[in-house]
Amino acid sequence: MSHLYEEISAALQRGKQNDVKALVEQAIAEGLPAEEILNRGLLAGMDVISKQFQENEVYVPEVLVAARAMNAGTALLKPLLAEAGAKAVGKVLIGTVKGDLHDIGKNLVRLMLEGKGLEAIDLGVDVSAEQFLAAHKEHKADAVALSALLTTTMQEMKNIIGAFEEAGCRDEVIFLVGGAPISESFKQTVGADIYTPDAASAAEECKKAILARK
Amino acid sequence: MSVTFRPPWKGELTPRERFNCQMRSEPVDRSFHMEFGYWDENYTVWEAFAKNGIKHEWEANRAFSFDPIHVVSGWNCVWMNPYFERKVIARNGEKVTIQDHNGLTAEKFESHSATIPHYTKSSITTPDDWLKVKRERFDPTTPSRRPNVAELIEQHPPTRDYPLGIYAGSMIGNIRDMLTFEGLCYAYADYPEMLEDMVETACVLMENYLDAVLGRIDFDYASGWEDICFNYGPILPPKFFEDVIAPRYKRIAKKLTNSGIDLWYTDCDGDVRPLLKVFLDSGINCLFPYEVNSCAHPGELLDAHPGLRIMGGVDKMQMIKGGEAITSYLETLVPYVKRGGFIPFCDHRCPPDVTWENYLFYLDEKERLFGRLS
Repeated sequence: MSHLYEEISAALQRGKQNDVKALVEQAIAEGLPAEEILNRGLLAGMDVISKQFQENEVYVPEVLVAARAMNAGTALLKPLLAEAGAKAVGKVLIGTVKGDLHDIGKNLVRLMLEGKGLEAIDLGVDVSAEQFLAAHKEHKADAVALSALLTTTMQEMKNIIGAFEEAGCRDEVIFLVGGAPISESFKQTVGADIYTPDAASAAEECKKAILARK
Repeated sequence: MSVTFRPPWKGELTPRERFNCQMRSEPVDRSFHMEFGYWDENYTVWEAFAKNGIKHEWEANRAFSFDPIHVVSGWNCVWMNPYFERKVIARNGEKVTIQDHNGLTAEKFESHSATIPHYTKSSITTPDDWLKVKRERFDPTTPSRRPNVAELIEQHPPTRDYPLGIYAGSMIGNIRDMLTFEGLCYAYADYPEMLEDMVETACVLMENYLDAVLGRIDFDYASGWEDICFNYGPILPPKFFEDVIAPRYKRIAKKLTNSGIDLWYTDCDGDVRPLLKVFLDSGINCLFPYEVNSCAHPGELLDAHPGLRIMGGVDKMQMIKGGEAITSYLETLVPYVKRGGFIPFCDHRCPPDVTWENYLFYLDEKERLFGRLS
């Protein structure tokens, strides 16, 4: 029966959302555990796509259609996962900082985070320090991913991390920073924890850091 | 009375002669002196601009005494005509939701423009949508698509002393702007024939325009725009560019070279390296305004690709740092300016976090290093 996991993974890598849906339905009907379908089928497929994206073997369209297929499969699994008490690896708040409306990089990182089995809570664009803080209080996030594309708005990252420090919850979360003008040295300047130059490794590093804390 | 922040750099050649010689690696008196403009915020943040009533790029160019350079855009000839009506759909605090000229629904700040709008919806998601828009807005026989060549000749006479370019199109950037980033990606995956028809439509309109203008005006270069890369590389796979875009670039290049235009730049920010071979093989041989931060030092590309030329390439991050950072960076460009095929300027529009003092220092250092070459 486990060949179904491989078929789900392969269909997802080809971006075939209807095939993924049908295969996930079949797997559920055959009584395979929802968590296994998610991990060995959907997330395994996203993992391949994510690595290929990192190696420039596939490009954004392939990632988007694979993620679309994954979402189609995940939607079918959600009620079963909830019923079984399965939890995501961790929760990540993600948003583009205040004053900045760019969202392409942020959306890619979100897809990659979800592809790693993390729950990504997307706060959108133009997100203030207060909004990040309020969302953390509500969701008890493990990590906060900040995106900026402008040299003028990237400074906002320092304010956001500062707001978490002032509120006494800086140590509760791992801060990821990313975007075209961001660098390793900028990460250090603003006191963030993780910077990676691409979306796939951001998700990978984020997952590693969350697991290391648990 | 108009203000002058810096006098013109001294020189013996006309700007046109200088540009043409420099871009073709022939001897020049000094580097062509130009910049790519500023963010809207600079016009208020830089006191010298605000105090002297400088609100537009052309006014700044004059005040800094840059070498003149112009391009004939043909904007109403080569893409949608008519465009969609621009309108405000809703207001929400400091943001407005609009329909833009491409038919996109977008959220944007009302007061500043540094960040691009947040696009939420396109007018085209299916082939049926495309056929409707194509019928209504891409008719090649629309009379107002025909350029007024006599007027262009009057504006840019053969005796002009500045370089003049002709816009040679976008084969995919305009499509991305019409579909949104995600929309383009889904179109690539779900409706490849529709996407190729869009590219072909853009190419045919461009060819019609070039047929009407080339041979009647003596252009010095061709300009283009794609903005199809981001800091991970191109949005669409290079194979798509090889199979679908390159054949159309080649059709355009044939018309350009037949009328003596051997310099064609494209404006494409982000990491363009995976596309460079496609560009060069298809006739695009110059990058403008080449952005360093998401790609590489311009010298790296110029060394690796003989025949490539670059305009731009001064890392704005060093301009923000100021002083020694500016000098050190400009010094790394000296061999490339001397070699030719490279005109240095800020690697996109200059942002307001480059202080006025740093900007003047940058211009002065630029003159010290590139203001006299022979």
